[in-house]
Amino acid sequence: MPARFSLVSSLSALAALSACGNAADTAQTPDTTATEAAAEPQILTLYSARHYDGDEALYDRFEAETGIRVRARESRAAQLLETMKAEGAASPADVVIAADAGTLWRFKDAGLTQSVESEKLDSAIPAALRDVDGHWFGLAKRYRVIAYDKENVAPDSIAAFADLSGEAFDGEICARSSSNIYNLSLLGHLIETQGAEAAEAWAGSVSGNFARDPAGGDTDQIKAVAAGACQVAIANHYYWFRLAGSESESDRQVTEKTALVFANAGDGPHVNVTAGAVAANAPNREAAVAFLEFLATETGQTMLVAETREYPVVAGVPLPDGLIPPPDAEPVTPLSRLGENQVAAQRMFDRAGWP
Amino acid sequence: MASAFSPKALAGQALLSRAPLGLATLVLAVPLAAAALSAVFAGGGEAWQHIVSTDLLRFSLTTAVVLVLTALLVIAAAIPAAWLVTMHAFPGRGLFEWLLILPLAAPGYVVAFAYSDLMGVAGPLQSAVREATGLGARDYWFPDINSPAGLAFILAGTLYPYVYLSARAAFTTTSVCAIEAARTLGTPPLRTIWRVALPAARPAIAAGLALALMEAAADFGAADYLGVRTLTVGLFRAWSSFGDAGAAARMAMLLLVLAAALQWIERGQRGRAGSEATSKRWRQIERTPLPAGPGALAALFCFGLVVWGFGAPLLRLGWIALETGHRGAGLWGPLATSLTLAALGTAVCVMLGLSVALGVRRGGALAQLARSVLAGGYAVPGAVLALGAIVAAATFQINLVGPFAVLLLVWVYACRFTTAGAEPIGAALARAPASMGDAARALSQSPAQRIWRVELPVARSGAWVAALILFVEILKELPATLMLRPANWDTLAVRAYDYASDERLAAAALPCLMIVAAGLAPVLVLSWQLARSRPGQP
Repeated sequence: MPARFSLVSSLSALAALSACGNAADTAQTPDTTATEAAAEPQILTLYSARHYDGDEALYDRFEAETGIRVRARESRAAQLLETMKAEGAASPADVVIAADAGTLWRFKDAGLTQSVESEKLDSAIPAALRDVDGHWFGLAKRYRVIAYDKENVAPDSIAAFADLSGEAFDGEICARSSSNIYNLSLLGHLIETQGAEAAEAWAGSVSGNFARDPAGGDTDQIKAVAAGACQVAIANHYYWFRLAGSESESDRQVTEKTALVFANAGDGPHVNVTAGAVAANAPNREAAVAFLEFLATETGQTMLVAETREYPVVAGVPLPDGLIPPPDAEPVTPLSRLGENQVAAQRMFDRAGWP
Repeated sequence: MASAFSPKALAGQALLSRAPLGLATLVLAVPLAAAALSAVFAGGGEAWQHIVSTDLLRFSLTTAVVLVLTALLVIAAAIPAAWLVTMHAFPGRGLFEWLLILPLAAPGYVVAFAYSDLMGVAGPLQSAVREATGLGARDYWFPDINSPAGLAFILAGTLYPYVYLSARAAFTTTSVCAIEAARTLGTPPLRTIWRVALPAARPAIAAGLALALMEAAADFGAADYLGVRTLTVGLFRAWSSFGDAGAAARMAMLLLVLAAALQWIERGQRGRAGSEATSKRWRQIERTPLPAGPGALAALFCFGLVVWGFGAPLLRLGWIALETGHRGAGLWGPLATSLTLAALGTAVCVMLGLSVALGVRRGGALAQLARSVLAGGYAVPGAVLALGAIVAAATFQINLVGPFAVLLLVWVYACRFTTAGAEPIGAALARAPASMGDAARALSQSPAQRIWRVELPVARSGAWVAALILFVEILKELPATLMLRPANWDTLAVRAYDYASDERLAAAALPCLMIVAAGLAPVLVLSWQLARSRPGQP
């Protein structure tokens, strides 16, 4: 009877599953690893908001160098955060990796990360790109930029984000929704450099200049510029470079019609990071620190940004294929501030009518 | 006879039906209760005040608009299609009979990825319009897929099979004799549909529609991707922008009320028109052939429905996968995970669904409670249930690694989907006249024998439908799986969503196609099984 068959097969699947689960659990207990270190590799549990096929190679490389095996759980940052909150002290997470300083701030704010003191990390990573208390470390840079229609817009007219609030761009701006962390962090940065009042006025003017209601991701905004639906779009730099390197011809055509400006947010371009942190209850703290330090080496940096087309944070590491050199200006505003302004930024967007 | 109605036998029967039912209710209610408790005790914070003062009304209205539009589209698509393939002969009818079920295998978020790309300003359709007309991007009107109407268009395209299936089953199993009697009495065809066939099928249609709408209300993936602010998306926003699970839980309670309302309306329909098939005369339906013109229109209509919810989105994703030459390396693991979780979840849900359906058939407050709990679970976004389950597990200090996390995930699947299994089983049982059970009792069958020899065989066709629907549903499930799966337990749905929300549609296309392919086999078996299970056929 087919129904019975499916039940039996499910049960055996469950049995198989418990078996692997148990093996993994025992590998994690410290005394087992101590006695059977040769047979059982140390395990590092990584909660990652990245989803890149190349990350497997990165983990393998780390294992080859240190003997520590990485077991990754990939999910969106918000879900990793809620999961860790619920898991509490029992959380198996050793390291958290997520994009945007604003996201890492949420983990820190929820008490899910711990302070780390590491010579290697402090010397390799510029101070503005790390948490002030050592709770997280920027590992790759991403710029929020303005993409523009090469035919109709002069790059000088959009040298700063403030320019977007002008009448020249009435009905000409495409941007994604305000609930997106990249926009929240951008406004958080503007709050720092312009003050709350000016930042809120900016959000209001820019949303008044929208060509259409925010919809889709950054890539969609860049494509909309190329299609002629608007003249400028706010986007992260790597989306444009991914289109430029795409297998699809229509994607590459988008980047022939558009170009990027590393627009000024008041004290330089708006830079953000993919960052890593050691979990507050990391069962394997030493391995966690070692993993972050590995990511700040030239090998780690190169592998981390090859597929994402982010910029390395460590000086002297070669850029991924196809990237233009980043702006010289080093970030001034500590990225920690972006997270602290996050809730205020969301409310400003809501009041300003930026959906 | 006396023994079957003796207090002892009745008590035995009560125990047999109530004990599993009570247990099931208890187990299933825990995540909901945990969510409710955090709504009451942790939900009134600043974030909640902010949501109430800015967006709550808009979220609610948007949800209402999406649900109403989805319902209208689903009814307009599914009922005519079900009637046409059951009652008429036209070119391609046999093919459409099962092709129309295919959208069941396509999750809303997959279809949303595809349509968002197809209909976007830089997508192939609008580019073609501009090329053909020489107009600029702002010189013409084009339907906006990133809107409540666009979301309803996508959800209805994937959900109409629920109503199509239930309506077709009802049309098929309604004794054809009733329809022929109407014809003999000279009732015109449309009037026959309106006065005889539809009233008889109404409970089934209402049940299918209720399922479809609960599914629509709980959708997160498609609405989030399209940027339509439904309550479910608002709930996630409360969570991810304000990090406030309590406020999210309060919005979940609104969705719960919505689900209860749908359930209540559906039950009202059932109560008013609960017709048990009393005629024992089954025979092959004689399909009225349609003349050439209407026949071609009927075929075109059915073809359009299949293209809408299945053909167009999947061809687009297939094209993207081919164009970018994305290889499927690394997707076999997620495929195996998807299949394993779906099989496990289905087994648990079918067993729970059976016990609930049998309990409901016997009536009583507990059964109604179980049913309401299940319906509530179905309408609550998976992530809220997952959160509730995590909170509950933390209360009992259960460590969420390895097998426990999988058990917890299966538990959430059960909370979320058992109703989708209980409904078809209940419907199968409802088609058997109640007198059948009385007859069994009169023949001194013990309660256990009654279940084993009378009700289970009757429930079997429903259980098949249930198992297949559940398998596909769990395969497509996204938010709860995202939250609860242990490390290295990515499903295809998780991969597809991660890639797409990372704006890498090319990488998402292949796992999307694999979800649909894996869901297709059960859908095809379902279709075949339904064709066979019609009473009166061997």
